Amino acid sequence: MILQHIADGILSGAIVALGAIGLSFTMKMLRFANFSHSELLTWGAYSALVFVAFFSSFGGIFDLTFGPFSFGPGLILAMLCACVATAIIALLLHRFVFARLSRAAGHMTMVFASFGVALILRHLVVLIWGSDPIYYSRELQFAILLPGNVRVLPDQVFLLGLTVVVVIALHLFMTRSRTGIAMRGVAESPDLARASGVNVDRIITWVWVIGASGAAIGGVLYGMTVQLRPELGFSLILPLFAAAILGGTGSLYGAVLGGLIVGLSENLSVMIIPTTYKPAVPFLLILAILYFRPEGIFGVRDT
Amino acid sequence: MIGLVSYIVFFLILSLIFGVAVLGLNLQWGFTGLFNAGVAGFSAIGAYTMAILTGPARDAVFGGFELPFVVGLIGAMIASGIGAVFVGLATLKLRHEYLAVATFGIAVTIQLVCLNWEYLTGGTLGLIGIPNPSKAWVDGPLAQNTLYLLVVLVVVGLSFAALERIVKSPWGRMLKAIREDDVAAASLGKSPERVRLEAFVLGCMLMGLSGALYVSFIGYVSPWDFLPILTFQIWTMLIVGGSANNRGALLGALIVWGVWTMSGFVISRVVPAEIQAQGGAMQAVLIGLILVAMLLIRPRGLIGEELHVSRHARS
Amino acid sequence: MHKFGLAALAAALMGIGSTALAADCPIKLGAILPVSGPMGQVGERIAETGLFAVEQFNEAGGVHGCQVEYVLRDTQGQSAVGVDAAKSLVDLDGVQALIGAVSSGVSLPVLTSVAVPSKVVQMSCCSSSESFTALAEEGKTDGYWFRTYATNRSQSAIGAKLTVDSGFKSTAVIYVNTDFGVGLANRFEQDIAKLGGSITSMVAYNESQQSYRAEVTKALEGNPDSLYLVAFPVDGATITREWLALGGTDNLIVNNSLRSDDYFQAVGSKFLQNLQGYDSAQPRLPSVDSFNEMFEARFDSPPNGPGLHSVYDAVTVVLLAMEASGDITGENIRDNIRLVTSPDGVEVHPGPEGIARAKELLAEGKTIRYVGATGALAFDANGDVQAPKMTWRLDGDKNVETGYLSTAEVAELIMMLDE
Repeated sequence: MILQHIADGILSGAIVALGAIGLSFTMKMLRFANFSHSELLTWGAYSALVFVAFFSSFGGIFDLTFGPFSFGPGLILAMLCACVATAIIALLLHRFVFARLSRAAGHMTMVFASFGVALILRHLVVLIWGSDPIYYSRELQFAILLPGNVRVLPDQVFLLGLTVVVVIALHLFMTRSRTGIAMRGVAESPDLARASGVNVDRIITWVWVIGASGAAIGGVLYGMTVQLRPELGFSLILPLFAAAILGGTGSLYGAVLGGLIVGLSENLSVMIIPTTYKPAVPFLLILAILYFRPEGIFGVRDT
Repeated sequence: MIGLVSYIVFFLILSLIFGVAVLGLNLQWGFTGLFNAGVAGFSAIGAYTMAILTGPARDAVFGGFELPFVVGLIGAMIASGIGAVFVGLATLKLRHEYLAVATFGIAVTIQLVCLNWEYLTGGTLGLIGIPNPSKAWVDGPLAQNTLYLLVVLVVVGLSFAALERIVKSPWGRMLKAIREDDVAAASLGKSPERVRLEAFVLGCMLMGLSGALYVSFIGYVSPWDFLPILTFQIWTMLIVGGSANNRGALLGALIVWGVWTMSGFVISRVVPAEIQAQGGAMQAVLIGLILVAMLLIRPRGLIGEELHVSRHARS
Repeated sequence: MHKFGLAALAAALMGIGSTALAADCPIKLGAILPVSGPMGQVGERIAETGLFAVEQFNEAGGVHGCQVEYVLRDTQGQSAVGVDAAKSLVDLDGVQALIGAVSSGVSLPVLTSVAVPSKVVQMSCCSSSESFTALAEEGKTDGYWFRTYATNRSQSAIGAKLTVDSGFKSTAVIYVNTDFGVGLANRFEQDIAKLGGSITSMVAYNESQQSYRAEVTKALEGNPDSLYLVAFPVDGATITREWLALGGTDNLIVNNSLRSDDYFQAVGSKFLQNLQGYDSAQPRLPSVDSFNEMFEARFDSPPNGPGLHSVYDAVTVVLLAMEASGDITGENIRDNIRLVTSPDGVEVHPGPEGIARAKELLAEGKTIRYVGATGALAFDANGDVQAPKMTWRLDGDKNVETGYLSTAEVAELIMMLDE
């Protein structure tokens, strides 16, 4: 059973990791804990639903599904569109709420505003799509048996694969492209970056786009392997923060590793503690890491 | 008219009970700049302490000491205070955004303990039969509620007066100095860490007091009373009323709780019955919008700090 | 928003002075239900069904010739909001009876701080906590508390019997971590031991989590040959899907809260062909079929879902008790509830015709026995009901009745288990 718990942990950790990337960056660069970030996962998942319906109205190849998977080209395209849609939402929020507050009132007010924004985003989902759970596909997948008596769904194999691809792509972006390198500079020291001529505003736009896209992909993958419901993101707040803080804010690998640790510890914890205490596990991790290593695993101590 | 009077008394009791917690948060955030996202957790500690100290004995559940109301109030404050000392020692050195996440997590954990530690908290069933002192003195719901309102008013009055004295004292000026500039404050000769901890603990004691007043009034306590939404409500009250102003804190409690309940009242009348089910979501969106708009348009709240230089001027 | 608020307030003010008089039209019935928040999906349908019951009563001419107005307030699943809503319904709208709430965590504070002190009847469709019975036994409800939800005791007994009768030897239990789930699961554990079955694991889950893989994996330990699931449709569907996908048996026994089309559709009926469940039985009478037909005509779906039958009966019983009262006061309603559900009374059935008949009988001064959507209701001294039980399974998309236990048989089973 321990192998099954490990497999489950890695799979749920992958979704947390995708969501935590954006949270980690915004926390570092904008210096605020964005409690509405998890709602971007919800919006990513639900907006993909609209695009799925749109594409499937064309029929043809959009009605196909790939091999053992529950989805076809329609969902993949919809996921890309959802990234764009979610990025637009994030940029609008930045432009009209967070950026203005950051200039006018300081970054702690932004934390509080993010509570309000989260409330609005979550209940708009209820108003638009209703509170019933929704599935991209009503088909129930059965797990394939791996060596060691571990069972995973085909969709989850895809989930893991896609997460790896996203992380590698981001890695290349951050190390090879001019924008990516500048982004790392801003993460390490915004003032220094600004002084050396980096257009910080443009970089921050990129941060939101990347963060929102990661959240959207995470949301869609979550919707694909579990279900869509309005509290999808809300239930992920603590795991996301735990992952971001564990890994060290502003670090891509930190967020990914943090996500995996959170997923693993949540799933393994039920072997020792009652399942009813499981939601507290990410928090205990946060507390431990903040106490012993406040800068996180890959983080750099602020100067 | 008796119905309206009766409702207003009831409304005032609830909003002033919230007001006590808002005063506590104001000390932490408004005056000292500590971001406590775990208000619900400290309220829960006070509430359960009250229930254990004053409630009737139950089989297989700890407590039920049937102690007097006042003992319950004091016990609740002490218990929340002790909880706050531990939490404060572990987290107050953190940067603000981390403090927000850590305290949020503490509230979630406290709620889980309330939910699952049956021997102490009655678990999912909660604790019933917690006495309301006003019922021993007078008969009839309106008279009882009016008496309880007086009790709450006395508590609010004492808390308010004490806080006003405190923030005008040298210690209170120290709080603001810390809020504005940690390093400079340290040069005044007092340890900012210690003062921050003191402010945090005092604020949390008021939150516990608020929880205790609530369970005595309602007569029942359960884990479902302390979900993160409670923290959000208390914060909204402070921001709307105006932080760093105790009058603002109380005003915010009255106004926000008024809008919260009045919007439900209006929705039940204006929205056709068939789509009433959507009313709750509309209400939540409305509250979120009010809050964000308030932050954008009037970040200092309805009555903000009575100072020339506020931290909002800096960034 | 402001204008509406003032207008509504003014309307409320005008209504206040006269609320105590019986002849005022319309007569208001308050409902406090969680139409938003975590229970929103369940609460929404319950709220609509409550409205449906009021509409049917109005079709039969209303109460004392007055139309009944159904004033719904959202509790958001929060006790403070629910208590305030109830107080405002009582003080500002002048309601003499409240329907609700759903979760015991809201119903209890409403009962102790609003209904009992204000002498207003409170009837819940769904609150299952044993604390209500305890309060009533201590005399703290003054008789104002009723619920049309048959208590957990009979649910777990039938669930255990069904499990053992199906030949299952080792059962895993997954249950929701609320007073409802914990109470039911603990009883089930005792009952199944008594009947000769065995439990492989008891796994509680917290509501609205991202995924239940850890819980499911834990419950799969020990290779159970069956799963007893106590959940609500949304989380229940997630758990069932993960359970089946991870290789769990499809020998499922589910609580009545999962007898819901939302649940069947979300999981997929074709995967649930070995699913069995139990529920409060409907009386086997033609009038019940007509209730089901009326419901389907109104909502385009059969009345399958937690709390639908019981909220219909809660509303109807309260309105019948109002009809039987001279002055409509909470006290009179309370006293007349047993008059309209009297075992010796003339039997009447749901629907406009049945209600019209009931009103005639009441006008003639007769006692009646309302046999409703959950069966013949007989409230005991604590306001609790026992109901006949039925067992069911899925056949294709339809859920079909497979067994029936009368109230006496249920009582006998419980006595045997409690020995």
